Amino acid sequence: MEWIGRSIPRIGAQTRARGKALFGGDVPLEGPLILKLLRSPRPHARILSINTERAMKNDGVEAIFTAKDIPGRNLIGLITKDQPLLAHDKVRFVGEPVALVAARDEESAIRGVEEVEVVYEDLPAIFTPDEALDPGAVPIHEKGNLLHRRVVVKGDVEDALSRAHLVVERTYSTPFLEHACLEPDAGWGYVDKDGTLVIVASTQNPHYDQREVAELLGVEKERVRVIQAATGGGFGSKLDLTVQGFIGLALYHLRRPVKLTLSREEVFLATPKRHAMKIWMRTAARRDGRLLALEAKIICDTGAYSSYGVAVATRAAVHATGPYEIENVRVESLAVYTNNPIAGAMRGFGVPQVAFAHESQMDILAESLGIDPLEIRRINAMRPESVTATGQVLGESVGLLEALDAVEPHYREAMEEWKKGPRRPYTARGVGLGAMWYGIGNTGVRNPSTVKVQLDERGRVVLYIGAADMGQGSTTVLVQMASETLGISPEEMEVVIADTGLTPDAGASSASRQTYISGNALVRACRKLSETLLEEASRLMGLPRGELVLRGGNVVSKEKPERRVSLAELAALAKERGVSLEFEGHFDPETTPLDPSTGQGIPYATYSFACQMAQVEVDLLTGQVEVRRIVAAHDVGKAINPKGVVGQIRGGVAMGVGFALMEEFLPGSTRSFKDYHIPTAADMPEVIPIIVESSEPTGPFGAKGVGEPALIPTAPAILNAIADALGERIYALPATLERVCEASIRAGWPKMGKGGGPR
Amino acid sequence: MNPEEKIRISFRLNGREVEAHVLPGETALHLLRERLGLRGVKEGCGIGECGACTIVVDKKAVNSCLMLAAQLHGCEVLTVEGLESPVGLHPLQEAFLEHDAIQCGYCTPGMLLSAYALIISRGVPTREEIVRALAGNLCRCTGYHQIVDAVQDAARRMAGKEEGRW
Ligand code: FES
Ligand code: FES
Repeated sequence: MEWIGRSIPRIGAQTRARGKALFGGDVPLEGPLILKLLRSPRPHARILSINTERAMKNDGVEAIFTAKDIPGRNLIGLITKDQPLLAHDKVRFVGEPVALVAARDEESAIRGVEEVEVVYEDLPAIFTPDEALDPGAVPIHEKGNLLHRRVVVKGDVEDALSRAHLVVERTYSTPFLEHACLEPDAGWGYVDKDGTLVIVASTQNPHYDQREVAELLGVEKERVRVIQAATGGGFGSKLDLTVQGFIGLALYHLRRPVKLTLSREEVFLATPKRHAMKIWMRTAARRDGRLLALEAKIICDTGAYSSYGVAVATRAAVHATGPYEIENVRVESLAVYTNNPIAGAMRGFGVPQVAFAHESQMDILAESLGIDPLEIRRINAMRPESVTATGQVLGESVGLLEALDAVEPHYREAMEEWKKGPRRPYTARGVGLGAMWYGIGNTGVRNPSTVKVQLDERGRVVLYIGAADMGQGSTTVLVQMASETLGISPEEMEVVIADTGLTPDAGASSASRQTYISGNALVRACRKLSETLLEEASRLMGLPRGELVLRGGNVVSKEKPERRVSLAELAALAKERGVSLEFEGHFDPETTPLDPSTGQGIPYATYSFACQMAQVEVDLLTGQVEVRRIVAAHDVGKAINPKGVVGQIRGGVAMGVGFALMEEFLPGSTRSFKDYHIPTAADMPEVIPIIVESSEPTGPFGAKGVGEPALIPTAPAILNAIADALGERIYALPATLERVCEASIRAGWPKMGKGGGPR
Repeated sequence: MNPEEKIRISFRLNGREVEAHVLPGETALHLLRERLGLRGVKEGCGIGECGACTIVVDKKAVNSCLMLAAQLHGCEVLTVEGLESPVGLHPLQEAFLEHDAIQCGYCTPGMLLSAYALIISRGVPTREEIVRALAGNLCRCTGYHQIVDAVQDAARRMAGKEEGRW
């Protein structure tokens, strides 16, 4: 293959290197009005009145909008519509938007926001799912405080428990996390000549944005056009509407250019977070290490509104077994409303949280049974034709054993040599593993993508791809697939990305789905084009179709390569003959919905697998954990762009280090990077990425996905390594200095050994 | 000083003399980005915590969100827009591209300028020096490794060639 498996340069990187890419805040318009939001200072309160009179007296203030100015349906939400764009009767979290000010300059906008008078009547606020589920709790939403309950049951758990040699039961907790995209959410808008409201914003989800804004405004979808600006990271936080609805509302009423850039503090306060979770798990095994049963109860704090809460609770339940075949399963997962910030999608949709739990369980079992941690994973690893917790029989692309094999030499070396090597006094070394599986695409629901390709009159191939690229590199791999299918180089193509006015709907850039789903759609579109071109050429050249191939921008005879016809000629000919050279390809993975009472079904068409190993050095006196090395083996099906895969793995590992050791969003107090630390260059271990390719027959060129999987095994591996170093385990993330010290004291450290240091 | 009264300053920006009237409280970030239109100067936090707004002032990397515009008076200022030359990209930019050090690209301008300041002061820095110099520039996408590789590579290519600029 010419273009697949090659690390071609990332498309769009050059503009970024030059500082010329226009991100959401880089408005190229003259004198846009500045938008600013008044946000609720209360976690839960009734709004008694909103008075904008005084604020409107400010010279620079042009308009102030509240819920009553929303002409359409004031309800948004990715799955469940339960969130007003602007609060009307009550507010449900600190930071909830209440009024939108449009002003001629920044100062006036700020003054306008300050002078809007809102009278609130406080309601009891609820900050934990436990309180929220109490029968006497105040309902945060009319329907109550339980957003969603997902059950996955299979086999006979009671019977398995009674047969088990060992049952391990523990409770784990993980905090809210902030995505911390380097770019704060931002966008701008204008009304174009034909009256369309054009919104250019930092987003992962332009077609959803378009539908949602149109509904808010009560206008036809076609009256709203959403174009993705260069987007400075997403990780799930830019799937919800962040600025788009407000820009749309202002455009609707004012019909002049506007811009809205959130401050970092607003991003912390009011954009969706990773769900905080409490996970109870009971795992039963035979003496030989074979897992017999898994029981889990997962409580997800979904915050004030649903966002992707249903998907997160569901995905967490489906993935709770980990990448292991377990016959008897009973999992219950609840998404519960609280008055905390909204929790939505964040890289992994709940799987990173459950992976911390199931991987800790695996190591506890291994230790108690006296089995090597790698071995116990191998014994139970899913393989082709394994049956999952939802009763799905896996296909042939299950590369977990290969990933374990790839990690093994590093693991043995680390265990046998590195761990025993010389080290500083009062430090302990540990080695840990983390494995994972991850279903590609949305869970048991339709999630189609359509891609369009065209050979224009000049003979140029133009791709119309709706998939937003936030830096993960989807555009580059999709273009490579087009190159491979059409036999022309990426430079010879034009690409239009994520513009609802031009590109068909590819669905969200989430769930690691674009390579697989839009990749398939794109390949189908390109095949249709190539077939038509070959047919046309065959007619023109008088050669059988089977003898022709597309190569280097020409249709060429395989036998006599000097016989060729260029795409430009074919385009001209097709035009003459009235043959259309525009094709759409469509793909929707084959899934079935999960049964509501048992969770049985086929939630995903394919899964990615991975295993990572962490080597850590723990300072027993300070609790400082230094991650020395991560070996990360990922089964991606086929690496379309190996450098891009490595980039995803390295970035995922960085995020995993943060999840393991430092990141924790505390509602009500985390407001800046001073309170919320993400890994810097100095926090990064050596990372050894290993690409495993267990080709997926339904994938484009065998590819699956890697965006989220890259992050998932890191924190479990690190926490297992810390437990290995200390001989005591930490059950709550992150493993802060205090928690590590506390575990080290529990373990009886520092124990004095030979030479004054612990052994 | 009257907070409303503007101060006249002049400085060299990307090799060109510029003049501006600035308010005493105005940040260098605001002046460069919002008034002089240099959109490559990014804002990630506004309080000195992320490094996205890094520029080079008199050979030193600074957070432009923490610096007052008035302090630029008489200085030599470099932003990402000034890195490339009419003949092409700067070796740092090229190395960032070759090493796939750019994913979303939002941290890139700040990274490039922190790296630039390091290289002109240290020549060919060690990996540790690079890591230390970049520790104030957050990146959420790459995991940093590719960026460190790129800086090291660029430093070798640049060896001794940048002095003329100052
Ligand atoms: S914007 Fe200046 S350091 Fe973040
Ligand atoms: S490339 Fe996205 S923040 Fe660095």
